[in-house]
Amino acid sequence: MYQYTEVDQKLVDERVAQYRDQTRRFLAGELPDEEFRALRLMNGLYIQRLAPMLRVAIPYGLMSSRQLRKLAHIARTYDKGYGHFTTRTNIQYNWPTLESVPDILAELAEVQMHAIQTSGNCIRNTTTDPYAGVNANELEDPRPYCEIIRQWSTLNPEFAYLPRKFKIAVTGGPDDRAASQVHDIGLHLVKNDAGEIGFEVLVGGGLGRTPVIGKQISPFVAKHDLLTYLEAILRVYNLHGRRDNKYKARIKILVGALGVDKFREMVEQEWAQIRDSELKLTDAEIERIKGHFTPFDYDAGAVDNDLDAKLAADEDFRTWYERNTVNHKVAGYRIVVVSLKPYLKPAGDISDGQMDLVADLADRYSGGEIRATHDQNLVLADVKQGDLYALWQVLADNNLARPNIGTLTDMIVCPGFDYCSLANARTLNIADQINEKFEQVDYLHDIGNIRVNMSGCINACGHHHVGHIGILGVDKKGEDWYQLTLGGSSEADASLGKVLGKAVPADEVANTLEKLLLTYIELRDSEQESFLETVRRVGLDPFKESVYAPAH
Amino acid sequence: MPLLINRQLVDQDPWLRVEDEQALPADGALLLPLARYLDQKDQLAGRQLGVLINGDDDINSVIAEIDKLQLVAIEIPAFTDGRGFSFARLLRRAGFNGQVRAIGDVSRDRLEFMERCGFDAYDIPDDRFKPEIIEAFDEISVDYQGAADDPRPLFRR
Repeated sequence: MYQYTEVDQKLVDERVAQYRDQTRRFLAGELPDEEFRALRLMNGLYIQRLAPMLRVAIPYGLMSSRQLRKLAHIARTYDKGYGHFTTRTNIQYNWPTLESVPDILAELAEVQMHAIQTSGNCIRNTTTDPYAGVNANELEDPRPYCEIIRQWSTLNPEFAYLPRKFKIAVTGGPDDRAASQVHDIGLHLVKNDAGEIGFEVLVGGGLGRTPVIGKQISPFVAKHDLLTYLEAILRVYNLHGRRDNKYKARIKILVGALGVDKFREMVEQEWAQIRDSELKLTDAEIERIKGHFTPFDYDAGAVDNDLDAKLAADEDFRTWYERNTVNHKVAGYRIVVVSLKPYLKPAGDISDGQMDLVADLADRYSGGEIRATHDQNLVLADVKQGDLYALWQVLADNNLARPNIGTLTDMIVCPGFDYCSLANARTLNIADQINEKFEQVDYLHDIGNIRVNMSGCINACGHHHVGHIGILGVDKKGEDWYQLTLGGSSEADASLGKVLGKAVPADEVANTLEKLLLTYIELRDSEQESFLETVRRVGLDPFKESVYAPAH
Repeated sequence: MPLLINRQLVDQDPWLRVEDEQALPADGALLLPLARYLDQKDQLAGRQLGVLINGDDDINSVIAEIDKLQLVAIEIPAFTDGRGFSFARLLRRAGFNGQVRAIGDVSRDRLEFMERCGFDAYDIPDDRFKPEIIEAFDEISVDYQGAADDPRPLFRR
């Protein structure tokens, strides 16, 4: 993985000192609230319902065991012993004090980490495929390009006060595990007719109040042109994005108002000015960054193992293997997903002890690296098949091996009203209700892959619009109600879910899900047809009827 | 109002800011709203001229005039309004060598980014000025991106 140079290190060290001074000036009354608010947000610090929340960047979701141990240490020392992984593959701490944040940042800087631009109206952490570099389907490992974007976007002086926040996701091939089509910019590594690798560029996707699937602005941008093209888009957005209404300020609104063709024309006009400027990437720079992401030294002998015997002998292991591990591009290896969706615990939460444990397991079994996923789980990407059984046992003993990846209980859930000052409704209680309802249901595994996403307000941090089933908490006269959407997806076939009908009361959410799932089982044309496929084939009407028709 | 030029506090500002309705002073350097400048520039040839613009103005109409201007003052209506950063970059990219001044909601924590984008002068409101504000320019001594004084990003240096 990428290792800091002296410049990288100096930048984060000086940023810590700068933020320490900003905090000091705020506490001394020299910095107005509104200004400190913008400055602390640009450094990941929110003031939440109960306490400040600090969001720490995990660039493109990749961290070392040493970094994860530091995150555990911070949870233990400055928080209440846990952290929360987010859909931007960052980690959030819910209980630090405002005064302690500079010290936390100094600790992070010791392990090449920071909280720069994890919030605020600037370019946020670039995300990518958690299986980058280890899945057979990708054209190239997208992470070097993510690192190139990280450097260009970090403390970029021109784009620190954009109209609104700005998110970029990169995929390495046809599969999309990064929700790239609902990002301000989605970049897809593609090959052109000449056999060169470059990027298809989408612009103006996003969720929130106005969910939009991104539109193609260019079918192919050569990799040397990556930064000049991004800079052209950002400059047009910075100059022309709306600043009069924060709900209309995202780039998707600008692209929608101008039309993608006019927007493209403006970008191309600006790009023509800078395409061959100093910002054009050099071969040397691309190779330098790629040099940090060389594949592991895989063991050809890893194919000789007793996995089949273990799978045959232990049904629980086999269930976990089938659900929580994924094909690796190298024979004899497997990608392991560490489930952060245990029974009756908040999605994405992890204790300090579990972080230390996963760090140890990464050292022992997976090259000392860990990835965070968009779906709020962790990944050990390079595990020998012969080590899976031992790894599974330790994970299972520590509540990290619930065999639910890709199933109903692998929900994306925002923290909701319990923590967040933006939320309208609680989410964690509803997630518990769904877990309780379906924990003992024997048809759950029969349902197969399904994505349930839940947000506690229309800001959509839980990505409800792109859940196969989306759940949106709304406030009705002081009570929590939940609006359901069906048919969304954030993958290569991205689509926005359609509203099922009127919201249901809090105690009816799991029962409503049951009606939807039973309707699916009844209507699917075979066991191979997924929930999403059935919804797309038959439409919403039969599902509406199952939920809203008067009881017979 | 304290004025910083090239990181120095200066006590004399030669520029006379003239509003739309005001009569033009007979001599001295004139800072005019963009529309008035465009309207009267032919009568003003030979004088020291500057224009005052804000984020809603078309920066290209200013760039077309840079060989006649010695000052472009960019009004920042709120510190969160980042359009001025791009304006400054575009002016410097076009080869403007005169002064690019930030006025309006200008305070310490944006000075370094402003300088890197091409600003070299800052009108700081009295209540936001302290002598140690100068230190803001050197808080982060390294960067990845090119800037007004050196367009090379780190990877080309």
